[in-house]
Amino acid sequence: MTHTLHRSGTRESLGGDFVFLFMPAFGINNIDSGPKLRKFLEIAQHHNPVNMGDAFYGNQFAKGLDNVMNNIKKDGAVVHAVFDNEEDAAHMLKDVKEADLGPSLVVSGIFDRVQGLCQKNGIHRHAATYSLGIWGKTENLPPDDVLDIITMCGHGMISAARINSVADDVRAGRKSAEDAAKELAKQCDCGVFNPARAAKLLAAMAK
Amino acid sequence: MKIDAELCIACEECVPYCPMLAISMKDDVAVIDQDECVECGICLRSGSCSVDAFIDEPATWPRQIRAEFSNPTVPHRSTGLAGRGTEEVKTNEVTGRLKPGWLAFAIEFGRPVTGARFRDVDMVAQALAKVGITFEPANPVTALMEDTKTGKIREDVLNEKALSAIIECVFPREKGPAVLKAFQEAVKKIDTVCSVDLADLVEPDEQVPAEKMLNELGISYRINGKTNIGLGRPKFKGGN
Repeated sequence: MTHTLHRSGTRESLGGDFVFLFMPAFGINNIDSGPKLRKFLEIAQHHNPVNMGDAFYGNQFAKGLDNVMNNIKKDGAVVHAVFDNEEDAAHMLKDVKEADLGPSLVVSGIFDRVQGLCQKNGIHRHAATYSLGIWGKTENLPPDDVLDIITMCGHGMISAARINSVADDVRAGRKSAEDAAKELAKQCDCGVFNPARAAKLLAAMAK
Repeated sequence: MKIDAELCIACEECVPYCPMLAISMKDDVAVIDQDECVECGICLRSGSCSVDAFIDEPATWPRQIRAEFSNPTVPHRSTGLAGRGTEEVKTNEVTGRLKPGWLAFAIEFGRPVTGARFRDVDMVAQALAKVGITFEPANPVTALMEDTKTGKIREDVLNEKALSAIIECVFPREKGPAVLKAFQEAVKKIDTVCSVDLADLVEPDEQVPAEKMLNELGISYRINGKTNIGLGRPKFKGGN
């Protein structure tokens, strides 16, 4: 599961993209971890998340936040919360550290920003996973502005055609960039899509 | 996935949802190209069909692996988990899967957008096996191998297509240059794209040795990625 990796974009755009993933190690500390995962999402709600979801159940835009919170499996799931600014991400990290819940936390974002958040909280990072980018027949890929949105759903649930379709809607004034981004967010089952960032990208595409 | 031609009202609402562009209109009916469809189910879950014309029937072997690799809501037979990969280093401070002095390398074929046939996965897996990597035993691609020493994937799945399939392997850090060179040669021959990642443990001084290796090899990496914060417990004994 590398579904929160390989997000493309400029430094400025990626600066508004912090994905928190919280999961137990299956076979080691997953038994009765459901309430801890729920607690993580409850903490996240205090820090203005732009998306939350459970890889085993669905995301807040498709299923509703209450359903996401109430359907976390007792013996483990993979839950996510997405933040669109460093300040909220910093507060989230501080609170999750203090809660000392037990499952593992992975934060996806610009490395030096995430490292800075860890330093502020006295955290020694355990491991880093680097994206070496896209290899092979890259000539078959859509343009960068479309890719920047596509890569926010690591399972590839959002098609280039769908992005172009909603960008057309925004351009024609049929819907706002924010509403279009929330529509796209429904398709990313895990809830790692960042609709706030996507809205900015769609607005730029629609110009 | 199929579409019931009797029910389809040719509204075309479902067409743009398909990541593989496998849905098209023929004679005023939406049809799905069965060879290109990876059974990800996004068309069905999109709710775009107002007349419930999608037909989602269980597939038989070998086609059934398409949904297992492409639909994140379908558990994979080899892992029991939804999704096409493993926990890799996300829980490493608890599992100790990646040991100090080792690197974890993953190649996700078909991501983004293009999808991939297992024949491309097979070719690269065999190339990596020759330089002495260890395939992740719990990975769904590894489960399709006839022999994990050679990386050979069983013949009957080679033409199957998935939204993505991930080779995951580990090797001692000193083998890194040879592994990456083997990958760079093999990837020239694939008929799709792949997204590639490399994971390493963070040293006590906050340095990550993999960065230095990549810089020396002239291989660029993105400014953003995943950081295992290290908050999980109980901690693996013997880890950093």
